[in-house]
Amino acid sequence: MSWWTRLRQRDRLETELSAELADHIERQVADLVASGVPEGEARRRANLAQGPDKTAEACRDARGTRWLEELGADLRYGWRGLRQRPAFAAVAVLSLALGIGANTALFSIMDSLIRRSLPVRDPESLVMLDGGSWTNPIWEQIRERQHELFEGAAAWGEAEFDLAQGGEARPVQGLWVSGGFFDVFGVPALIGRTILPSDDVRGGGPGGPVVMVSARFWQAQLGSAPDVVGRTLMLDRKPFTIVGVTPPEFFGPEVGVRFDVAVPISAEPVVDAPRNALDHRSWWWLEIHARLKPGQTIEQATQALRAVQPQIRVATLPDRQTPEDLAAYLRDGFQLVPSATGPSALRDRYRLPLLTILAVAGMVLLVACANIANLQLARASERRREFGMRRALGASRLRIARQLLTESLLISALGAGLGLLFARWGSRLLVQRLSSRGNVSLDLPLDAPMLLFTAAVAVATALLFGILPALRAGRSDPQDAVKAQGRGSTDGGKGVSGPLIVAQVALSLVLVVAAGLFLRTLSAITHRNFGFDPEGVLVVSLDAGRSGLPGERLSSFFEQIRDEVAGVPGVAGVGASDVTPVSGSSWQERIEADGRPAPPEPVRAFCHAITPGWLSVYGTRRISGRDFDAADRDGAQPVALVNQAFVRKVFGGENPIGQTIRFMGRPEPQPPIEVVGVVEDAIYRTVREEPTPTAYFPFAQVMVGEIPPYSSLSVRAKSGPPSALAPDIAAAIARVDKNVSLRFRPLADQVGGALVRERLVAILSGFFGALALVLAAIGLFGMTSHAVARRRGEIGVRMALGADASKVVRLMLGRVVLLMGLGVLVGAAISLWASRFVSTLLYGLTPRDPITLAGAAAVLIAVGILAAYLPARRAARIDPAEVLREG
Amino acid sequence: MPQDRTDLPQGTLDLLILKVVGLEPLHGYAIAQRLEQISRGVVDIQQGTLYPALHRLENRGLLEAEWKDSETGRHSKYYRLTRKGRGQLEAETASWKRLTEAVGLILRATAEEAR
Repeated sequence: MSWWTRLRQRDRLETELSAELADHIERQVADLVASGVPEGEARRRANLAQGPDKTAEACRDARGTRWLEELGADLRYGWRGLRQRPAFAAVAVLSLALGIGANTALFSIMDSLIRRSLPVRDPESLVMLDGGSWTNPIWEQIRERQHELFEGAAAWGEAEFDLAQGGEARPVQGLWVSGGFFDVFGVPALIGRTILPSDDVRGGGPGGPVVMVSARFWQAQLGSAPDVVGRTLMLDRKPFTIVGVTPPEFFGPEVGVRFDVAVPISAEPVVDAPRNALDHRSWWWLEIHARLKPGQTIEQATQALRAVQPQIRVATLPDRQTPEDLAAYLRDGFQLVPSATGPSALRDRYRLPLLTILAVAGMVLLVACANIANLQLARASERRREFGMRRALGASRLRIARQLLTESLLISALGAGLGLLFARWGSRLLVQRLSSRGNVSLDLPLDAPMLLFTAAVAVATALLFGILPALRAGRSDPQDAVKAQGRGSTDGGKGVSGPLIVAQVALSLVLVVAAGLFLRTLSAITHRNFGFDPEGVLVVSLDAGRSGLPGERLSSFFEQIRDEVAGVPGVAGVGASDVTPVSGSSWQERIEADGRPAPPEPVRAFCHAITPGWLSVYGTRRISGRDFDAADRDGAQPVALVNQAFVRKVFGGENPIGQTIRFMGRPEPQPPIEVVGVVEDAIYRTVREEPTPTAYFPFAQVMVGEIPPYSSLSVRAKSGPPSALAPDIAAAIARVDKNVSLRFRPLADQVGGALVRERLVAILSGFFGALALVLAAIGLFGMTSHAVARRRGEIGVRMALGADASKVVRLMLGRVVLLMGLGVLVGAAISLWASRFVSTLLYGLTPRDPITLAGAAAVLIAVGILAAYLPARRAARIDPAEVLREG
Repeated sequence: MPQDRTDLPQGTLDLLILKVVGLEPLHGYAIAQRLEQISRGVVDIQQGTLYPALHRLENRGLLEAEWKDSETGRHSKYYRLTRKGRGQLEAETASWKRLTEAVGLILRATAEEAR
């Protein structure tokens, strides 16, 4: 019989045991009676020989299931205890659920973002070329040598394709891949075949342009059609033949991004014509990976690559570079780095914020533990009689400690179970919030590491908050059972541990300080002067790459579109530009002023190509000079507007109007450009940046020759949400050319998207800071209530002897204030030390911002005193006569 | 009643129980009686020791039990040796014999033999 069966058949075994032992007694009695002993005496002797329940107990021990039965009893008892204290149970379980849930959620995100390897064959032998992206000529040089240098090499680049036939875009996340990509990464095809080297040749493979789709795309867009291979998929209005589907677990080579379609690198000219990135020596758009040969180390592979570096560099010199730049290009040494976990922009951007929130969540859990430990200690001192009684009845110290630990485990298990649900929900929500446009994707499976983590955290927290109460209870004295109730004793706070209160207050202060720092950072950024008004502006991104227009006609084409959109009802103003603020794109130039001493450092300025009226759409103020007008065209005198930072940096603060500037760092001579106006500083690339030199050039003058076919219209609405204008704008543009691909996004969204990180950290730390405050209040309230209950008798006597209400309140608050003061000091020290780690996440204040620290301390102290004052005031209402009568 | 009772060496009780139950199926009271009779009163097993031992052996699968009506009309739990129990009995009997012979040899040793 297994112990499990024995446990399940406990009732039957008990009946049999009694019957067997009764049978023994009856037989003995019969024997004794037969030998002449009177029946009464015989029965007495027989019962004596068996001993009261001793034999039965020993038999139960022999069953080997006692520990389980006791566990069951302890759990039932603990459960009843929790149900009798619903307030405590709710606080304990909910605070643990939030603490454990937050830690689990962050663990699962960090796990998939940082620790987990790419879902490819043998990820440990994958390496990548460090230092950002590379040009296709460099890749082709490495590709030719890949089998001498490594087992194989692969390249990929991010892309976005449009599934729509015109008008508003239906974007899909794309991937340019080299022909050997799937082979080198070791990713097989789920259906059909992978892209092969024979597909990735100039001019296309034998079957023309091909595409592999992801399993997700196949399911969502193609209805999981089994005959998908051979179908045609239109990408950017060009036909691609589907050759296969990738397996569902392969999200792509970059963690945090999920691709929908993969096409060979050589197909780039198919969608990008008339341009062609394949021979471009200054377009850095590919990531290069390699798989090491068996036994080859990463150092050996780097050395092998360095040996052929001169040939690769010479064969791929970038265009239009100064001699110094070329020399630097030749010198720059190739370096391979491990890439088992793949590159991840998401990881780089969110590592510190997520670690910060993880630390915050960890502290919240500690605060919750300290809180529960204290509530349990207070409770345990109320249960002294109970424990004393059990000791007197023969329970061992260990048995009582075990019972309390079981109760703690029950609480933490309930918290962990709820926390796991919370984590599943929270981690998904968090990942969604990491992205500003829904383009972030992370697998968050409910896997063994996550469950193990949760279980480990649950056990650790149970030990953390359960060990002290268990030890205390184990020490209880059998005499407590017979002593009168703790009335009259003066050890007011003995139930509660002072150091625990100090620790809890200290950690709470750190959390409130963190919340203060991040909330103030968010507020400082959102209230800073952007240099434009993001509300009411709609950004329309145009891609005319498929209009078939040659570059020199695009500028007038965009102007035509602009004029058409300006006629749409509800449009207050419209301007075209090459880039828009915080869009992720930028244009930087080295610029010098004529006739001024060259600055020690060349000035790198952000540049904008804008049409007349663009500045007024944005609401960027003109300080002096004029705006561009229709006369500033190709062939007329080149002109520019500059911002105030530019004036300070390039012109030393002098009036620049009428002066001329030139682009530097280009091999061919540059024409002088006349400055015709000065505008206020505005942000360009990030919401955090300091005023940076920025120059504006007329769209019609700069956007000639080799210009990108994509530009943006910025449209200011007369009233109401600007996105309401989108359909009318789309119709207006379609009247000019229905092949233009369009994307709409309110400028406020674009700016808000740049604040995702700040907002996320602020919201989460604010939430946890508030939670810590609530827990601190509960802890202090509980501690004071407990002290008041214990010291009722003493207070009654004091009041009978003449102590007034305020004196009683002071008496009850004394210890709380002392412990809280200590906690605040310790917490302030920790905050001052720890805040340095988050300095890069802050804006507009220093990590040791005294106002935040003082404010946080004041809030915590106020909340704490209020929480302690409520029960203390109750003490002052004790009726001494009543107390004395009780005695 | 004999006065000189001897404490059983550790683990011996199991062997004795297996032995007497191996002769014929018995209930607990009879096992105690049988052990006392055969050992002529030297082995006197307390119930607090006997029954836990019986249950342990049953749980280990060396004994199996069955409720039967006895000749006197009582409903009693009879223990019987299992196949596994018989194997165990033989193994333990053999090892007991080796041990007692060895102990006997040592105790009978004379000064001459030790030299």
